[in-house]
Amino acid sequence: MQPLEYILAGMQAVIFGPAAFELLGVPIPLTLVMVFAGVVTGILVGATPGLAGPMAMAISLPILISFFGYNVEALLPVLGFLIGIMKGATLGGAVPAILFNTPGTPDAYMTTLDGYPLTQRGQSRKALKVAHLSSVSGDTFSDIALFVCAPFVALMVERHLDFPEKTALLILSLSFIAAVIGGSPGKGLISVALGLIAVFIGGGEDFYPRLSLGTDALAGGFSIMTAILGVLIVGAVLKEYEDLWHRSNLSGARERIVDHGDQRLTRAEVLRIAPYIGQSSLVGTIIGALPGIGTTLAAALGYQLGRARYVRRRPEGAPAFGEGAIEGVAATEAANSSVSGSNLIPVLGLGIPGNAAAVFIILATDSIGGFTPGPSVFRFSESVVNTELVLVFGLFTAMLFANLVNWTFGGAFMRAATVMVRVPKRTLLPVVLLLTFTAVYAQEPSMESLWFTLGFGILGYLMRKVDMSPLPFVIAFVLGGSLENSARQAFSATGGDPYFLFSSWISIIFLAGSVVTVVLALRQKRTNSTRA
Amino acid sequence: MYRLNIYIGSGAVLFALVGLFLWVPQDTGTGLVVQVRRQVTIGDAFAPTIAFSLMAIGGALLLIEQRQHTSIKVPLAPFLHTAALVAVIAFGLLLMRHAGPGLLFVAEGFGGTDTEYRLLRETFPWKYIGYFLGGVTMIGGMASLSAGRLQARTALIAVAVTMGLIALVDVPFDDLLLPPNGDY
Repeated sequence: MQPLEYILAGMQAVIFGPAAFELLGVPIPLTLVMVFAGVVTGILVGATPGLAGPMAMAISLPILISFFGYNVEALLPVLGFLIGIMKGATLGGAVPAILFNTPGTPDAYMTTLDGYPLTQRGQSRKALKVAHLSSVSGDTFSDIALFVCAPFVALMVERHLDFPEKTALLILSLSFIAAVIGGSPGKGLISVALGLIAVFIGGGEDFYPRLSLGTDALAGGFSIMTAILGVLIVGAVLKEYEDLWHRSNLSGARERIVDHGDQRLTRAEVLRIAPYIGQSSLVGTIIGALPGIGTTLAAALGYQLGRARYVRRRPEGAPAFGEGAIEGVAATEAANSSVSGSNLIPVLGLGIPGNAAAVFIILATDSIGGFTPGPSVFRFSESVVNTELVLVFGLFTAMLFANLVNWTFGGAFMRAATVMVRVPKRTLLPVVLLLTFTAVYAQEPSMESLWFTLGFGILGYLMRKVDMSPLPFVIAFVLGGSLENSARQAFSATGGDPYFLFSSWISIIFLAGSVVTVVLALRQKRTNSTRA
Repeated sequence: MYRLNIYIGSGAVLFALVGLFLWVPQDTGTGLVVQVRRQVTIGDAFAPTIAFSLMAIGGALLLIEQRQHTSIKVPLAPFLHTAALVAVIAFGLLLMRHAGPGLLFVAEGFGGTDTEYRLLRETFPWKYIGYFLGGVTMIGGMASLSAGRLQARTALIAVAVTMGLIALVDVPFDDLLLPPNGDY
C-alpha cells in the first residue's frame, strides 16, 4: 500500500466501520458517535471543579473495554471516546474559570486572571467565546503538528535506534519526567523508583515470582488498573476531600451572572487575538511534545509571553493583562489546549506517555491488544498491509472529527456545562470513588483488586500530601516492563556485554542527557531555594 | 515544624538499603545475571536492584536539596480526618464483600433458602445487595464525615446515586459483574 492508500484506509475504518445505529436509513459510524460522546463528557467533566479529563478516562476505560471486548474492532471506538474526553476537558476547564473564578482543571488557573474580570464587567459570554475560539484553534494546530511530526520521529527512531539505544531512551524519558515534574528531582526520582518497584513485584522470568514475600497475594503482581486508578483517582479523591474539610464547600452558593453590552466577538477582536493564539499554540505544541511537562506550564508560559507582547501593543484604553484582557484568555487557552495533540507524538512515535491522559491511551491499547504504540506503527509497508498504521490514520480521523465537534457544538456545550459547577463536591467525590471501584472490578473481578486500589490510593494521597507528584510513579509503572524487556534484549543482542548501554554514541548521549537533566534540575532548585 | 523532606529523603535511603541488601537478594529466584546453557542473560534481581538504587539516589538528592531550606508544615488533624475517611471506605468494601453472603446465611438460619451464594449471584436481589449496601455506606459515610453531621438528605442521595450507578453499569452491560459477584 502507498502512503495515500493508508490514509484513505484509516478514514474508511472510521466512516465505514461498524455502525452504532441508523438514522433515516443512513448508518451512523460507531467511532464518530463515541468521539462525540467523549467530547460532550469531556466538556462536562472539565467544567466540574474537582474532576479532570484523566479521571473520566480512567473510569470509562475498563467499562468500555468490558462493553466492546478485547478485539481490534474495539480500538477505534474506545480510543475515539478517550480522545474526545481529552479534547473536551481542556475546553470545559475554562467554564468555571471564567464564570466563577474557579479553574475546572489546574491548567485553567491562568484563565481566571482575565476571564473572571471579564465576567465581573458583564462580558462572560464574550469571554467564553474567546476561550472557545482560542482553545479549539490551539488544539487543531497541535493535531496538525502531531500528524506531521509523529511519523518522522518514529521513522528516525526505527532507523537509528537498536535495543541498547531504546533502553537508554527509556532511561532518559524517566529521568526527564522525574526531574521536571513537581520541582524536586529527588522526589521525582523516588516517585519513579516506587513505580518501578511496584511493577517489578511478582514479575520476572524465573518460576518464583520475585519480591512476592512468599505470598499468593503478591505473586501475581499489581495490575496496571489497580495501581494507576488507585494512585491517580483514589489518591486525588482523598486529597480533594481533605481540602474540602479545610474550606467550606463553595459549589453550592454562587453569585448570579449578569451580562450586559455587546457579547459578539467582532472581526477586529478576532484579528487582535489571532497573534496571541498563534504564539501560544506554538509554545503549547512544543511543550506538549516533551514528556512530563504538561499543560499547566504551557498555560503559564503562553500567558507570560502573551503579556510581554501585550505590553508593547496594548490598544489605548484597553484593560491590562490580569484586569480582563481578552488577549489574556486567548493566550492561556490556546497554550493549554495545544498540548493535547502534540503529547501524542511521544506516545505514537516512541510508545512513551508524557502525561496522565497519554497514559490512558497506552493503557487502552495495551488492554485491548492488536496495537502497540511505538516506532514500528509507522512502517509504510508496501507488500504487506500494516494494520497498525491504518489504525493510526483512523485515530487521526477521529481526532479531526473531535475538533470539528469542538468547533461546531463546543461553544454551546460550554455554555450548557455551567450547570456542572453547581454539583456539590461532597457528593460528587464519593460517587467518583464508587465508580472507580466499579470500573476496576469490571476489569478484574476480585475484591482483592479493590483493596489494592485503596492501598495505592493511600499511597497517592501521601505522595500529594508531601508534594511528590504521582505522575512519575504512573509513567514508571507503565514503562517498567518495557524497560526491563528492552534491557534483557539489548544484553542478549550484545552477547552479554555488561557495558551494553555504552555500546554506541547515541545511547551514551541519551545516558549523559539523563544525568545532565537531573543535575540541571537540582541546580535550578537550589538556585530558587537560595533566592527564596 | 517538621523537617519532612529530610525524613522522606532518609526514609527513602533506608528503604533502598533494605531493598538492596535484604529484600532483593532474599526474595528473587535468580541473581543480577544468570547463565543458561552457556548463554549469559539478565536475572530477575537486576531490574529491582536498579529501582532500589534509583530510590537511594532520589533520597540522597532530596537530602542535598534540603541542606539549606526545609520544609513543609504538616498538621496531624487532616491525617486523622483522612484516616477516618479510609476507615469508612474500608467498611464499605467489607460490607460489599460480605453483606450478600451474610444475609443469605441469616436467611438459611430462618429456613428461607438452602442455596449457596454462587448460584444466586446473578439473581435479583442478591446480585445487588453487597454493592448497594457498600455503595450507600461509602457515599453517605464520606459525605456525612465531610459535612460533620448525619443528614437524611445525604442518605437519600446516597441511595439514589447507588441505584443510579447500578442502573448505569449493570443493566446495559450483561458481561459486567458488580462486586462481589466475580469472587464467587
